[in-house]
Amino acid sequence: MKRTIKLRINGSEHELAVPANALLLDVLRNDLHLVGTKRGCDMGTCGCCNIIIDGRAVNSCLVLAFDVEGRDIQTIEGVTASADDDSIHPLQEAWAECGGSQCGFCAAGFIMTVHALLENEPQPNRAGIAEALGGNVCRCTGYKKILDAVELAAGRMAATT
Amino acid sequence: MSATQSEYLRPKDLRAALEHKAATPDARFIAGGTDLLVHARRPGATLPQSLISLRAVAELNEVTVVGATLRIGAAAPLTEVARHPVIAERLPALVASIDVLGSRQIRNVATLGGNLCNASPAADTAPPLLVHDARVELQHVGGRREVPLVEFFRGPGETAIEANEVMTAVLLELPPPNAEAAFERKGRVRMDLAIAIVAGLFELDGSVVRRARVAAGAVAPLPLRLTEVEERLTGSELDDDVIAEARRLTTEAISPISDLRSSADYRRHLTGVFVERMLHGVAGSSVTGRPGA
Repeated sequence: MKRTIKLRINGSEHELAVPANALLLDVLRNDLHLVGTKRGCDMGTCGCCNIIIDGRAVNSCLVLAFDVEGRDIQTIEGVTASADDDSIHPLQEAWAECGGSQCGFCAAGFIMTVHALLENEPQPNRAGIAEALGGNVCRCTGYKKILDAVELAAGRMAATT
Repeated sequence: MSATQSEYLRPKDLRAALEHKAATPDARFIAGGTDLLVHARRPGATLPQSLISLRAVAELNEVTVVGATLRIGAAAPLTEVARHPVIAERLPALVASIDVLGSRQIRNVATLGGNLCNASPAADTAPPLLVHDARVELQHVGGRREVPLVEFFRGPGETAIEANEVMTAVLLELPPPNAEAAFERKGRVRMDLAIAIVAGLFELDGSVVRRARVAAGAVAPLPLRLTEVEERLTGSELDDDVIAEARRLTTEAISPISDLRSSADYRRHLTGVFVERMLHGVAGSSVTGRPGA
């Protein structure tokens, strides 16, 4: 049984028919082809599927699509330097500079977690960043480069605001 | 509706949620979903055919304070609970337990009521709520009742909740300003379930304990109050002998298991250490004019 729902994603309204039990992760990837959001563990542990709902990082594999109607949903595709174009966000720039991603699979989830963190806390210390990233798993980098990237981006973002 | 069709409802008020439940007894309530949706994807498991989401029910998402009584809506996300100004100021042990529960993105959606209804012996928020003598409010379409949290847990995954009921709130009386709360917890790694949890709430008169409440989690089939320890402490001076005895009584009161996270022996040892450490902390902070004591 499908039902029609309305979702607001990256500032755009989408109306689509999905199964009643559809997970937001599946709707993003399969129905809307927003495949920047990755399916990792599929049980809320790895953070690869993290997106932002109403300003808070959330595992999209643990959210039913029908339950987020009317909420403000942001995916990695909506992370840009300015709302007017698709230029690279300072976080993405720092990730590339610091080697924050190797295979790249986890990067979108990490960036969404950090994006939500910096909105609430623009200048976190390294321990605070590590705490915020406790639910994001990377199997390549060993995390040091990721923490470096967050510090670099946070510093630059603070300097320009 | 045929039995094979799934139905998902998102009522905006509690009355509608309870009426849906009365009309569809097989329906499951879903709040944050961080346990339910994981369990539903285990091999052989499926999502319930009918779900009633509590996320849009405003009254279940609110935290209110009336006099000294705190009411936490059962579907309030843990992040919101920990950030509530009265909770942040007056209930440090509860806040500490939320801060170590899962990851940030889990806490952003997981709810206090869900943590209790899931009834894991290792539920992080249970020991601090037990020491605050929390009660849970259960409602069905025909009425409401309050159950002391200590009577709510019946076993791993089992609670006093009836099939037609939903947990609507967690209630507790705010502690007096001089009460001292403590929380100790150990997991293998940051995100993992606890292998032992201890919470305490103490009211002291000088170095004499006037009131003691101690609870433990992950070391018995359910989160439990350690009444033998509390009785030994009440009226006693918090000296090394009393603390050592409290530690011994703790290890006798619990019944930990061995599993992939820890051996029973280590859980027992750790719980004793936590109680000892907590009491030394309380004893130290209650002695004035003797810094470092």
